[in-house]
Amino acid sequence: MVKMSTAKTTSTRPPREPRRRLLRRPRSVGQDRNSLIGHNKAVPYILSTPSVVLVGFLLAFPVLYAAFGSLFRAEFMGGQEEFVGFQNYLDLLTDADFLWALNRTAVFVGGCLVFGISLALIFAFALNKAGRRLRFLRGLTIVPYLVSSVAAAVMFRLLFNDQFGAVNRIIELFGVEGPTWFAHTGWAMLAAIVTQVWTDLPLAVLLILGGLQTIEPSLLDAAEVDGATGWKRATRVSIPLIVPQLAIATVWFSYATLTSLGVVLALTGGGPLRSTRTLPIHLYETAFLELRRNEALAVVIVVLVLNGLLTLVYTTFSRRFDIGN
Amino acid sequence: MTVQPDKDASASGRGQAWKRRGWKPWLLHYLKRVPVWIPLIALVVWTVGPILMTLSISAKIPAEVYSAPSLIPANPTLAAYQEILNREGFRGAFMNSLIVGIGTAALTLTVAVPAAYAFARFRFRGRHLLLLFTLLPRLIPSLGLMVPLYRLAVAFGALDRRTTLVLVFTSQILPLAVWLLVGFIQQIPRELEEAANVDGTNMFKRIRYIVLPLAFPALITIGVLAFREAWNEFNLVLALTRTPGNRTLPYELWLLQDSVGFANNPAMAAFAILTLIPFIFVYLRIERYIVGGITAGSSR
Repeated sequence: MVKMSTAKTTSTRPPREPRRRLLRRPRSVGQDRNSLIGHNKAVPYILSTPSVVLVGFLLAFPVLYAAFGSLFRAEFMGGQEEFVGFQNYLDLLTDADFLWALNRTAVFVGGCLVFGISLALIFAFALNKAGRRLRFLRGLTIVPYLVSSVAAAVMFRLLFNDQFGAVNRIIELFGVEGPTWFAHTGWAMLAAIVTQVWTDLPLAVLLILGGLQTIEPSLLDAAEVDGATGWKRATRVSIPLIVPQLAIATVWFSYATLTSLGVVLALTGGGPLRSTRTLPIHLYETAFLELRRNEALAVVIVVLVLNGLLTLVYTTFSRRFDIGN
Repeated sequence: MTVQPDKDASASGRGQAWKRRGWKPWLLHYLKRVPVWIPLIALVVWTVGPILMTLSISAKIPAEVYSAPSLIPANPTLAAYQEILNREGFRGAFMNSLIVGIGTAALTLTVAVPAAYAFARFRFRGRHLLLLFTLLPRLIPSLGLMVPLYRLAVAFGALDRRTTLVLVFTSQILPLAVWLLVGFIQQIPRELEEAANVDGTNMFKRIRYIVLPLAFPALITIGVLAFREAWNEFNLVLALTRTPGNRTLPYELWLLQDSVGFANNPAMAAFAILTLIPFIFVYLRIERYIVGGITAGSSR
């Protein structure tokens, strides 16, 4: 506490908090030398081997394998693969299809983040204020989590149908003709964003809700006494306090949308006019339709790196605004 | 958006809060809560609306979808379900999904429980490194694994097999499963096991009669999450299966879009609804566990 106050007088930025351990070392458990159990030297290795092997061989190794394979290229389908260095990556820089896919992905992920996080915030605030009798609504939010991406896409295909879809029925109530969703580039992208947000929202809502529930009620009470309106209390007190959870939700959301293939493939198939041809679809087409597997591996690595970069951006961003818990 | 933080919503109870500010009429109280009600109604419509609309379309005949786009069908019919259930592709894929799903859940539990027990109860060299190694790959998306796993499967002759799918799905869910279980087992008092140990119970019996019963909620959560992973995964099925007999439901549903034609919307809707069946049965029992599980799993 003393440290904090002295630091505050010198600079407006709060002092950097000590680096958190990625995995908290459990204090009592596992560290107890006097315990009667957990002493055998060989047993823990035997017990953990199957899971380490499975994860290592089917999760970690394929990534290394992809990185390695992306340095090769076959002259023709099924031909001998030759080492080409980073040529596959360099070619991506001038590949119009790839750049277009990047462009579409930026729009898609950006749209999903803006729409999804704001919706998640609204829902989480409302759920946080819901009385005890409405507790079941929290459980209801996870329903989309149980629906597969393809099933969600099929449902939203029906919803966004221009002739009988519910969305256009509702738009017609306002006296406006609804758009032909899947024939228009912009509307198709919007439909894809809405569908993707629908499938991924539950996690974001639950995360943000979890953050809201950790807020001390006294802080909000104090703000109320000082005359802060509901809106001010939400934006000036609650939201700054849940920055960590917001950051995690954002990371998760970008992760989910950046790597989402099923929704877009089943909803629009990348069309119309390639308007929803995002990076995952580019990857799928390169690998399984054009059969350029080594080139596809380079795209895989790009996706993974993008993912890591986004995560890094959000965590540093949130640490700067995190007022500490 | 203007959510009114309302002290009445807290655990103190509505009645007492009214007494405290007794002069306020209750109507005003409810009006004040309108900003909370509207998003909640929106939440229900947003979540359940698409499923209800699909359910409604699935109970119509194809022509009726266009002519009478009301939510409640005039003459509800199960014809679309009959059509889907009679499709060879659906039944095969359903059985496949079921087998792969149950297999994944079973394998995940058998592999994750010993590992989590080791990480939670033993101190051993490399514990943290191994734990990190098991947990970090959670960040690897299945999209990124499509191509490398396809190539590996070709190399090992493991393409197009249910066993491959089970192994791959298990590895996908394992990091989360181990993570959840380690936390759960650490919360079980060590003393219980020590007491049993004094009484001469060996480790396997301690796990069987002390740890597993106490970790039961976590086991259910993990089982369901693993089943869901296998049931809903699309990317890897797309990459690792080829013949109709080995596909799971999402792939089959994706193919159906082309094969039944766009006119047969009820069939599509019925298929989508049928993919939800296992969750409909267990939803009420597991909802609480899942909410806890996915929140804990993603917030680390």
